[in-house]
Amino acid sequence: MKVKICLIGKGIVGTSFLQLIKNKQDQFDQKFNLKIIVTSIFEYDGALIKESGINLGEVLDAGTNFRNLPYWKKNVSAKKLISTLDADICIETTPTNPKSGEPGLTHIIEALNNKMDVVSSNKGPFYLEYDKIRNLAAKNNCFVKYEATVASCVPTLGIIENLIGNEILSIKAILNGTNNFILSRMAAEGVDFSLALKEAQELGYAETDPTLDIEGFDAAGKIVILSNDLLGWSKSIHDVKVEGITKITPNAIDLAKSDGFVIKHLAIAEDNKLVVEPRLINRHSPLNISGNLNVIELETKYAGSIILMGRGAGGLEAASALINDLLSIIKHRGFSE
Amino acid sequence: MIYAKNNIMINLEVKLPDTPGSLVELIRPISKNGGNIFGILHFHDKKINDLIPVNITFELSEDIKELSLENIRKELKENNIQIENITYGNEKREITVLITGHVFDTDVLDTIKRLASKEIIISELHAKFTELKEVSNVKLRIKFPENMTKRELIDELRNICKEKQLFLITG
Repeated sequence: MKVKICLIGKGIVGTSFLQLIKNKQDQFDQKFNLKIIVTSIFEYDGALIKESGINLGEVLDAGTNFRNLPYWKKNVSAKKLISTLDADICIETTPTNPKSGEPGLTHIIEALNNKMDVVSSNKGPFYLEYDKIRNLAAKNNCFVKYEATVASCVPTLGIIENLIGNEILSIKAILNGTNNFILSRMAAEGVDFSLALKEAQELGYAETDPTLDIEGFDAAGKIVILSNDLLGWSKSIHDVKVEGITKITPNAIDLAKSDGFVIKHLAIAEDNKLVVEPRLINRHSPLNISGNLNVIELETKYAGSIILMGRGAGGLEAASALINDLLSIIKHRGFSE
Repeated sequence: MIYAKNNIMINLEVKLPDTPGSLVELIRPISKNGGNIFGILHFHDKKINDLIPVNITFELSEDIKELSLENIRKELKENNIQIENITYGNEKREITVLITGHVFDTDVLDTIKRLASKEIIISELHAKFTELKEVSNVKLRIKFPENMTKRELIDELRNICKEKQLFLITG
């Protein structure tokens, strides 16, 4: 079985995806009789295009010099070429644009318009235009999967398939590892916010411009996707009441501690409302996790509370989620030789 | 916190002279007459004419409420303690919240009174701040009546905090 894919975005996640595909090719062959053929890899300024299949070892060995490879085509864009590509599935991993979702949104729309299934780690399109993407996929009989957009490789969206006999009533989650790291350090060391942020940046847990994280917008986007998928809602990021963590002080954390509470930055979906804000939680709560992990608590009708926890970010983590989604689509499609 | 059935919460607003032992003169009549004290707020920064506003919240059994309150009033008057206001409640429910900001500069007594007018009682207030000019951090233990949902309580708190530009963290 051969499946052709195009990759749009060769950043940390895209490169990690290629690495995992290369590493797992033998496993796919033996276990599933499957060969993944990457026919194009797009960047913002051009693309590697080879219809017979790109040598992934060659691309990965080239590192940042991949543009020197003979099949690099300069100044071509995914938007314009998607309709001409020989690919069954489009893997979209460009960075999130929180305002417009572009260019990722157009890549996804164009792929679906051309009857390509889509796998994505780019959350912007999904928290801005969830219904548009899902409706277009349904109309064109395409799969669109995006597990990597929420809590990276923690199988959060996929869990709905294992809860068909149950009903998810509400969601409470820590969805931003940067903020959880900062609050954990403030609680552990008594340092103020700015010092904890600096430490996070030095360790690579926070961006140079951490606004989207510390102001809560990253978590807001993720709770939109979670609530739409798991609760059947139809929300966008504009429906979320958002408060970041910048006003939390070491004294506030101390006062909380004296009553057995901790302060965590929670993303909550309940009573048809979405909220992202600091909250007091009991120190014994399963949501009281440290460091840069993510945790999701699903309150269900018949099984009470179900907890999912794991690393919520990272190139290989997100890439593994992309591969799960890719294999899921391949399994459903039953591609032939 | 466990509440006995048929207890009533009472909040007294008084003005105490700024002299040693005045707090004891307030507490003794309440304890002596069956009051179970939950919290005392003592506003030194609002002292006027050597009188300090104090809020005291206590619980009384419903069946002795009338007699106890009458005795408490009488004894406080004998101790020259002026009662400004009394508010009553039924069985209370309780949450803890944190507020960060210029809590005291934005008239915390006004905040407490506004909440009390809706039978929302601040039973405990703990404050932490590093310097006077910096923001203060305040933990409030709040009791709210049975006819109010937790959401309504939080909405009330949010409205006040928004007006006073205070940052609220709820549970």
